[in-house]
Amino acid sequence: MVGSTGESPLSRPRAGRSPAWMSRRRCGASLIAVCACVAVTACGSSSKPATSSAATSSAATSSASGTGTSSASGTGHAGGTLTVLESAGFAGDWPTGLDPATNTNGAADQSQMDAIYAEPFELQPGGKLAPDLATGYKFSNGGKTVTVTFRKGLKFSDGTPLNAQAVAFNWNRDLKSPCTCKPTIMVKAITAADDSTVKVDMLVPDGAFINQLQDSNFSWIASPTALKKMGEQQFKLKPVGAGPFTVVSDTLSNQLVLKKNPTYWDTGKPLLDGLTFKTTAGDETALEAMQSGQAQAYEGMNTPKLVNSFKDKFTITAQPSTSPYDIQLNTAIPPFNNKDARLAIYYATDTALLNQKLFGNIYPDTQSFTAQAGLFYNPTVPGYPGYDLNKAKAMVKQIGGLNVNFFTITQPATQNFMVALQQMWKQAGINASIHFYSLASLIQQFQGKWQAALQTAGAWDPAGGVGVAFRFNSHSPFSGVHDPKLDDLLNQGQGATDPATRKSFYDKAAEYIAQNAYGPFLFPVATWNVAAHGVTGPGLTSAIPSVAVNPQVLWEDVSAS
Amino acid sequence: MSSTASAPLSASPRRASTGALTRVVRSPLLRFVGRRLLVAIPVLWGVTFLTFVVINHLPGNAAQQLLGVNATPQEVHQLAVKLGVDKPLLSQYGTWLSHLVQGDLGHSLASGQSVTSILGTDLPITFELIAYAFLISLGLAIPIALVAARRPNGIFDRTSMVFSMAGLSIANYILALILVYFFAVKLNWLPALGWVPPNKGLATNIKYLTLPAISVALSLMCFYTRQLRADLVQQLRTEDYVTTARAKGVGEWRVIRHHALRNSAFGLITAVALNLGTLLGVTVIIEQIFGLPGIGHELLSAINSRDLPVVEGAVFVFALIVVLANLLADLLYAALDPRVKYGSTN
Repeated sequence: MVGSTGESPLSRPRAGRSPAWMSRRRCGASLIAVCACVAVTACGSSSKPATSSAATSSAATSSASGTGTSSASGTGHAGGTLTVLESAGFAGDWPTGLDPATNTNGAADQSQMDAIYAEPFELQPGGKLAPDLATGYKFSNGGKTVTVTFRKGLKFSDGTPLNAQAVAFNWNRDLKSPCTCKPTIMVKAITAADDSTVKVDMLVPDGAFINQLQDSNFSWIASPTALKKMGEQQFKLKPVGAGPFTVVSDTLSNQLVLKKNPTYWDTGKPLLDGLTFKTTAGDETALEAMQSGQAQAYEGMNTPKLVNSFKDKFTITAQPSTSPYDIQLNTAIPPFNNKDARLAIYYATDTALLNQKLFGNIYPDTQSFTAQAGLFYNPTVPGYPGYDLNKAKAMVKQIGGLNVNFFTITQPATQNFMVALQQMWKQAGINASIHFYSLASLIQQFQGKWQAALQTAGAWDPAGGVGVAFRFNSHSPFSGVHDPKLDDLLNQGQGATDPATRKSFYDKAAEYIAQNAYGPFLFPVATWNVAAHGVTGPGLTSAIPSVAVNPQVLWEDVSAS
Repeated sequence: MSSTASAPLSASPRRASTGALTRVVRSPLLRFVGRRLLVAIPVLWGVTFLTFVVINHLPGNAAQQLLGVNATPQEVHQLAVKLGVDKPLLSQYGTWLSHLVQGDLGHSLASGQSVTSILGTDLPITFELIAYAFLISLGLAIPIALVAARRPNGIFDRTSMVFSMAGLSIANYILALILVYFFAVKLNWLPALGWVPPNKGLATNIKYLTLPAISVALSLMCFYTRQLRADLVQQLRTEDYVTTARAKGVGEWRVIRHHALRNSAFGLITAVALNLGTLLGVTVIIEQIFGLPGIGHELLSAINSRDLPVVEGAVFVFALIVVLANLLADLLYAALDPRVKYGSTN
């Protein structure tokens, strides 16, 4: 285990941001019902020390501890304001407010949350994890204890100190919250070891702890003083953090107006004077608003055909996805309690053809729950049952036919996907009836006798929120697999502090899934971030891997010329 | 003496005031309004109860929606208990109703804000949108109908008919995208998104509401134009008072504007009152497209998060508005035509 002495990747100097810097996904469809009478994200000159990019290897892939003094740097212009559009139904929705403990939509609203609160560590272009509010971390006690060190002298925008006590207060509060936006960490105790060090004792080893912060509400530290003074109800409407911006006004799920935080720890940042998030109905309305000049950025465009249409008008940056599609099979009930039936689905699924016809081969195929932009990427799994129509037909014949109830979320992209799979499977003699559900209905399906579903499985770190365990661990209500051996492999993959060890367990888990034909993996689809010419920023005009669904944008480094 | 003398003097004004009160109470108009308001009670109850049933039968509850996809059944149950959405439907409805009677619309399950404050913030925006849409639609429909009715099947009438048919055939949300493309993207005359409160500049406020209002108003305008034109033509062709007026040498324009229009206004008023309910539904979509923080936007968000108190509050207010609008329409009939007597069977 490397100490926090400058040997670890986070402590090494990182390169100044290259011009390459200059260059997400909503789920769910909106439901319209009722009415009354009827039953309707550059680069700014940074005060942060420039560092060597070769040294910014990922925390998870290089070491079990790390320190550092900077997050991001750049060469953007200071000043100006930016209006960013977010899609209704996902990143544009914050109906429960922006309090980390209660914002159930936190992962979707990470842009707003990051802008207000900043983060202990932040993902940077190339998938490098760098310190922001924190300076480093260290694992001990076999991975059951992690100490996170925060910068000294940090202040919330209300002038009160952001110290270890404040962090411990927040993390304990998050864990007590009924919100499932809290991290899936088996915590024993969280305490302030000293003024700048937080000690987290866990019941089981968790080598993924730091990475797991990225997609949990532990990433956002609220001012305990403001919270107490305002009360939870008011705080969630006008939250106080130590991020690059402070809240001017907040109209839930409609508009969030922010201004530069003069007390932000990184002198000279943020580059922008103001940042406004506005909710828009979808891709078309967002692009029209951008063309009219009312907005300068849009996060999470997910209509591929619009990319070519608007690539000359805007900077459109494909954001690397980390979550591949998979066909979930419920192994608890027929027909997929029979391995032959599961194999028939594997053999009948021509992933390459789907990728080509539906997405023009822009996404790399994968045979595991990992993707190119994520950690522990393993695209080729030994023993993976690939497409073989003859074998599929033989399997179907062998088991006396195969009828499948197959469902997914209501979304234009998934609808085409489902129909294509239905037709493809038909060639092998598999009759699939396809169903589309809103998010709420989809969740309910998992409480019944479901058979097969088109889902995504995986995250930047497979141990993250909607990661592999979410779909394949026995204890997840959204898993179709109940296999103690697989549970053990996944737990060891999460528990180990050495990245190489973690990878070996995840490789074994992927192989085990393939051997048992627990569900085929396809490819990860990604969204695009759109920015007006002249607007630059990491995550907005350069690629940062999605943590779960959307990539992070480093708003403190975004500039609008 | 004085006492006996004062008695009749004091009794007389009392009797007079009692008589006046009796006359007011027995006023056909007031009794009509009272009866209509009494009838509104079961209507409002029915609408709110139906909404309660519908929302409760949608998959997922507020606890499920608030906690998100990672929630375990236990966590969902705990929050459901905390929010009170685990109770039987009738019990929940009974509680909501009893609070409503006390003037309490409850609190949002999602944000914790009082529904009254949400409605207080959002309703004026939607009202402004609707009022602007009515202004545009009626402001254009009436003159077009008048000109069209003057020469039925003439060039103007035929052109307006074609325009009206086209306007009625296009969905509001498609029209909204087309309008944004031309007026915001190509011409850059009007904003495509957002809202500015009137206290930050009335002109800017109107500018921001213009495209949304036109999106709502166009189909209404087309409908009103066709209806009013048809009514006017019928009046001009069949009614004796028109013939009489013409025989007296009253000019054709004057006949149309001063006589036929007044009699044709009944249908238009009825249509406007009936359209109000539909219009409140349209705002749900239009407010989403233009990013207006109105009650339609709030209602959609509340439906998605199964935020029953907000949905119920919005639906209740919508229903109340529709009921009152229809009552107002009935009252306007009398104002337009003195022959209309309330409380009379003939």
